[in-house]
Amino acid sequence: MTAFIIRRVIHSLIVIVVMSFVIYGLMGLMPGDPIDLMISADPNVTAEDAERLRAFYGLDQPLWSRYLNWLGAAVQGDFGYSRLYAQPVWAAIIPALQNTLILLISSLTLALVIALPAGIYAATRPYSVADYSINLAAFAGISMPPFWLGILLIMVFAVVLGWLPAGGTADAGGASGMWESIKFLILPVAALTIAGIGGHTRFMRASMIETLRQDYIRTARAKGLSENRVVLHHALRNALIPVVTILALDLGVLFSGALITETVFAYPGMGKLIFDAIMGNDYNLALVGLLLATALTLIGSLLADIAYASLDPRINYTDMDQ
Amino acid sequence: MSLVRVFVMSFAVTMVSMLNIGTANAKSELVIGITQYPSTFHPNIDSMLAKSYVHGLTRRPVTAMSADWETVCLLCTKLPTLENGDAVLEMTPDGKEGIAVTYKLHAEAVWGDGVPVTSDDVIFTWEVGKHPKSGVSAAEGYRRILKIDRVNDKTFTFHIDRRTFDYNNISTLGILPAHIDRKNFEVPEAYKIKTAFDTDPMNPGLFMGPYRMTVAKPGSHMVFERNEKWWGKAPAFEKITMRVIENTSTLEANILSGGIDMISGELGLNVDQAVAFEKRHGDKFQIIFKPGLIYEHIDLMLDNPILQDVRVRQALLFSIDRDAISERLFGGKQPVAHTSINPLDWIYADDIPKYPFDMTKADALLNAAGWSKKVKGIRVNDKDETLRFDIMTTAGNRTRELVQQVLQSQWKAAGIDVRINNEPARVFFGETVTKRKFDSLAMFAWISSPESVPRTTLHSDSIPSEENNWGGQNYTGYVNPEMDALLEQIELELDRDKRKALWHRLQTIYATDLPALPLYFRANSFIMPKWLTGVRPTGHQFPTTLWVEDWDVAK
Amino acid sequence: MTMIGTTMAPAAKGQVLRRFLRHRLAVLSAVILGLLILFAMSASLVEALLGIDADAVDLFARYSPPTSQHLLGTDELGRDILVRLMYGGQVSLMVGLTATIAAAVIGTTIGIISGYVGGRTDAFVMRVTDGVIALPLLPLLIVLAAIDLNKLGIPESIVSSEDVSLYRIIVIVALAGWTTVARLVRASTLSIKTRPFVMAAQAQGATAFRIMTVHILPNLMSPIIVATTLSVGNVILLESVLSFLGLGIQPPLPSWGNLLTGAQETIWESPGLAFFPGMLIFVTVIAFNFIGDGLQDALDPRADDRR
Repeated sequence: MTAFIIRRVIHSLIVIVVMSFVIYGLMGLMPGDPIDLMISADPNVTAEDAERLRAFYGLDQPLWSRYLNWLGAAVQGDFGYSRLYAQPVWAAIIPALQNTLILLISSLTLALVIALPAGIYAATRPYSVADYSINLAAFAGISMPPFWLGILLIMVFAVVLGWLPAGGTADAGGASGMWESIKFLILPVAALTIAGIGGHTRFMRASMIETLRQDYIRTARAKGLSENRVVLHHALRNALIPVVTILALDLGVLFSGALITETVFAYPGMGKLIFDAIMGNDYNLALVGLLLATALTLIGSLLADIAYASLDPRINYTDMDQ
Repeated sequence: MSLVRVFVMSFAVTMVSMLNIGTANAKSELVIGITQYPSTFHPNIDSMLAKSYVHGLTRRPVTAMSADWETVCLLCTKLPTLENGDAVLEMTPDGKEGIAVTYKLHAEAVWGDGVPVTSDDVIFTWEVGKHPKSGVSAAEGYRRILKIDRVNDKTFTFHIDRRTFDYNNISTLGILPAHIDRKNFEVPEAYKIKTAFDTDPMNPGLFMGPYRMTVAKPGSHMVFERNEKWWGKAPAFEKITMRVIENTSTLEANILSGGIDMISGELGLNVDQAVAFEKRHGDKFQIIFKPGLIYEHIDLMLDNPILQDVRVRQALLFSIDRDAISERLFGGKQPVAHTSINPLDWIYADDIPKYPFDMTKADALLNAAGWSKKVKGIRVNDKDETLRFDIMTTAGNRTRELVQQVLQSQWKAAGIDVRINNEPARVFFGETVTKRKFDSLAMFAWISSPESVPRTTLHSDSIPSEENNWGGQNYTGYVNPEMDALLEQIELELDRDKRKALWHRLQTIYATDLPALPLYFRANSFIMPKWLTGVRPTGHQFPTTLWVEDWDVAK
Repeated sequence: MTMIGTTMAPAAKGQVLRRFLRHRLAVLSAVILGLLILFAMSASLVEALLGIDADAVDLFARYSPPTSQHLLGTDELGRDILVRLMYGGQVSLMVGLTATIAAAVIGTTIGIISGYVGGRTDAFVMRVTDGVIALPLLPLLIVLAAIDLNKLGIPESIVSSEDVSLYRIIVIVALAGWTTVARLVRASTLSIKTRPFVMAAQAQGATAFRIMTVHILPNLMSPIIVATTLSVGNVILLESVLSFLGLGIQPPLPSWGNLLTGAQETIWESPGLAFFPGMLIFVTVIAFNFIGDGLQDALDPRADDRR
């Protein structure tokens, strides 16, 4: 097991380093540099200013040399300075990271709490009305354009009913106290959960159906065990395995994919940070942000495989390397 | 039955009280919604509208332009002029014509930590500004100052190396607190990273305005509280919060639900959004539209052989109905532009060639230019080339996209085939426009200041090219010796009447030659609660926040 | 790890259809999808019938309510909403199908080769696939969408054509989406290649190419079809997200995504404008999802065990 983990960690590190170069290269293909954007915003910047500033920011050097500079510094722990936030990259990332983690954990927890029971329920009553309704609800959630959902929620709960704030963070809204602060989280978490829950529900359902088909379930039933015990005790443990792996992979997706939700709800998280960094030509910030998201996905994948291996005694660690 | 009624009543009361979340504290606190967060708080590095808006609350420039478009003293006590003797013509050490301008800082002007604002701060600002490695973006203004005489603590004299008409306007010079930042400037190259404005942004010593910043959360919000050491008129609000909400629909939702009290005009909704908002909710809010100095126009690629014929350019302008666009799309709030000069500017000349919507004239001009034949409704010349252009602008900018589609449709009626081709702003400004790679039409905006001489956009030495490292903003490639001479002359002409005549000639040439197609001046839409008074939209780049001490609650 | 439903034996056509028809929601969705496709395709017909031009800007009739000519009213530039929704449907559906099929083709090719050839090639391809999967999808698409096409050496005529945003979306979705299909196909290939009929073909001296295309590929069709159908919905949603960010289909070419984005700025004043494109996207995506679901059940030979 330790050998496996070490191998995977090394493998992940290699992927991250390679990806850092790929991302840097891709960003290099994007046109314009920050100085061009500066010029278009300020008519007082002259040609000499532009040249001076380019040299100052090291933008007149070729891409590969800038990348090597960055790599050299990064290895020593210095991830560079974010031009967009006028702070070291880490200082800019940390608040966004905190916000995203809050959102992530809340919505994943909520998704689990709803999706798992719903999926199990639907699996135990296939083709029934309940099954169809749950399927419909699940699909409905994942089929909605994300910002349509977001604006809809704001419209109903913030503008028309006035129960909840129309986006923003507790800090920004000047909220104090637990309940006040949570109010700001309710809508964005709801939006993310509604969007994601469908996938988890259906996966749980499919996995449970597959498990219930197994021979040992038939044996358990034949032995006269109650249906509840069969489902919740014998089947669930095995059915959960694939679901756990999907959840772990979701970490990475939610991390940077909540961009639309963050924009609509004015919630400054990692998705928005990475997007602004890319569009604003802030190489350092974009790179670190993207690598963080990649690392999270890889960690998630590793956790998923470890969980899978631990939970399913049939799986051998060496098998998983194929 | 009565229980239900009680329930409904209490429910309704709770709902109504929750609706007043934002407005309950309206009287001593103000919450403003803006669409952008400043990327740095240093006044002289990286010019950004969000930053100058925020700084309007916390800092004061030496001079500024008022809502009446007059240069006024904010930190100084008397505006130095040649007439009152505080500005004196002189010769520079190497024999050029220069000018010495003396300012006196307000006697009570102090930084938020009690240290007085002195000439030393001004001198320090100049040292930082002219240093090539300090990261200051527009260094030209600093380089012009050859020497600063420190007459006393509050009085200093600039020795400037040229005589320009705006000699007493030093509004772009943001005074830095020497007692705080000098130590961060010891290694000039590291100044940008170490400056207290970004490493210690809430330090009261950075502010000499009515408010100081107490909270700054990047991408989210900023909070300002009364500066105890403020030496001017006491502001009415104890606390002002600026919430950053980039998505304008969410911004609207917030003002409708009470999450914010007002939407900043400088950084808020587009005009078409504001006009639609006014139609629905105009009775609940105070809405002011103020056309500004943001000149929306279409740069024409003068390297394109078809566009080199001035008749084609004029026809392009005659065949679009800008009055209808202004009226219908913008509710009449964004006046049509005839040149890059704003009607509010005193140098504006009205008696110049104008181009109202006139299809017959457009037709005649195009025919005369050799485009009389039509194939499937689109004009062709004798070489069977079609009259086709590409129009480009920033993708995602709704207003511009709408205007593009209207223009495309109107030009089609005139037999001109125009294709829309948009790019994200970073591509558009980063490559296409700045390196003159657009094929024919590029639509975007210039932000100018009152009486600002359009030298970088119209002078023949400002055409960006490989050789000059793509400096300059004359993207059209316009070359006209008379225009060049005018641009040079205007800057140096100190006599107002003579200047006005020169400006008149400049506008006439611009309107005749049409290096760019003028569209309209963007208006700022201020959406405010009915109880807020004292906000005076300026129409130029100086934000309303510079006079925040005049804002108050209606009695 | 074994993925549910990867090793499926081909089922008889008639059986598949019967099983599909049992899945009521899937059948309903197929009907609805058919209607939607009909809706989109009849754009020019409706234009002619009602006597309107979809692109005609009429500044004097902005945001007008439904009339006998403009059945759903007009949009922010006075253009007919109904016809634009139809044309938008053509674009959205076309992008959805083309991009998904492109991704499937790429993924299948890579997956089959990797699975069949095995060894170092397989290991390398899998590492690359893992790398691409690890990259966060949305930022990756954003970066790809923002790339300067000129720097890649693409001829100017394409770069400035009106439909370039269309091609670009298809290409970037294909580039980002081939990985799922590739993994699926590879896993299937691995198990299929050990089957007797493949061994027999190898013994007869068939070339690798022939084996892959004639023997293995047909057996992969089921999972590929299911995966592809389920992805179409995702691609349509992706297009709407990219349009929201200003990186999708560029106006004036209408797509449901950019019609929705366009409506959001004045959403408080004219919510109806946003309702229709959003609803159409919603219904289309759900329909594809249910059809995919139904196909999965229909093509899975063990479905009968469930009753």
